[in-house]
Amino acid sequence: MTEVPIVHYLYLAAVLFVIGIFGVLARKNAISVLMGIELMLNAVNINYLAFAKYWGGGNLTGPVFAVFVITIAAAEAAVALAIVISIYRQLKSANVDDAHNLRG
Amino acid sequence: MTQALFYILAGVIVASALLVVTVRNLFHCALALALTMFGVSGVYLYLGWEFLAAVQVLIYVGAVTVLIIFGIMLTRQVMDDKARVMNNQVLLSLLAAGAVALVLYLVIGHSDFQYSNHPALTAAATAPAAEASAYADEVSSLAAGLLKPQNGFAFAFEFVSILLLSALVGAVVVARKDPS
Repeated sequence: MTEVPIVHYLYLAAVLFVIGIFGVLARKNAISVLMGIELMLNAVNINYLAFAKYWGGGNLTGPVFAVFVITIAAAEAAVALAIVISIYRQLKSANVDDAHNLRG
Repeated sequence: MTQALFYILAGVIVASALLVVTVRNLFHCALALALTMFGVSGVYLYLGWEFLAAVQVLIYVGAVTVLIIFGIMLTRQVMDDKARVMNNQVLLSLLAAGAVALVLYLVIGHSDFQYSNHPALTAAATAPAAEASAYADEVSSLAAGLLKPQNGFAFAFEFVSILLLSALVGAVVVARKDPS
């Protein structure tokens, strides 16, 4: 049995990352932007774990970093949704384009 | 045969990720995001990281997606079906995403990632007792990787718990109704 080459993991992660970038840049709703960020974080995690498996040689730094990424993504989602709800209360809108109070 | 599993998972991940960024209905976006997270946890399983796959399902599918669905429901009244879901920089965003894709493609193509094992590691990895194989299962080795002082992550591990606590308190404070 031949294994899946590591480049295929990298390409999968790259595609996921690029889709996330597009979601962050092009969507109007703040929650959609948040979902794009989650996609990008997951792409990074795929890379960490693929490298740890194929190139790590038993080194555990990759999965340890994946754990940190997952943890901080959860904290980030909680704070970001709180901010979105707060913005929605103030502006009656969840669109990132409408939140331009600080523009000069 | 087992390779086909990876490519099926990759197809599911890419297709559902595309749904996440293109579908009009935000609720359907969140469900597609849950499917993406399931696919990513399948990739973790395929790589042999069973514990992290379980963590992925618990945290992303169980917590983050549910949190996002709550957020969608709390900000729902303003959304009508006729409103545009994309802002007016779709072309620019496509351009930026395409540029990043091109750079990533060139970097991956010109690297020596074609080897499934690091050229320097194939000989070295077998010689010293590999850290991961020193423990019976993935959870014990991961715990050692996180908490053994010589790995240098023990402080970061403790600090992340403080970060989680402050994020929790901060989220409550930010989302709380103004008393005035």
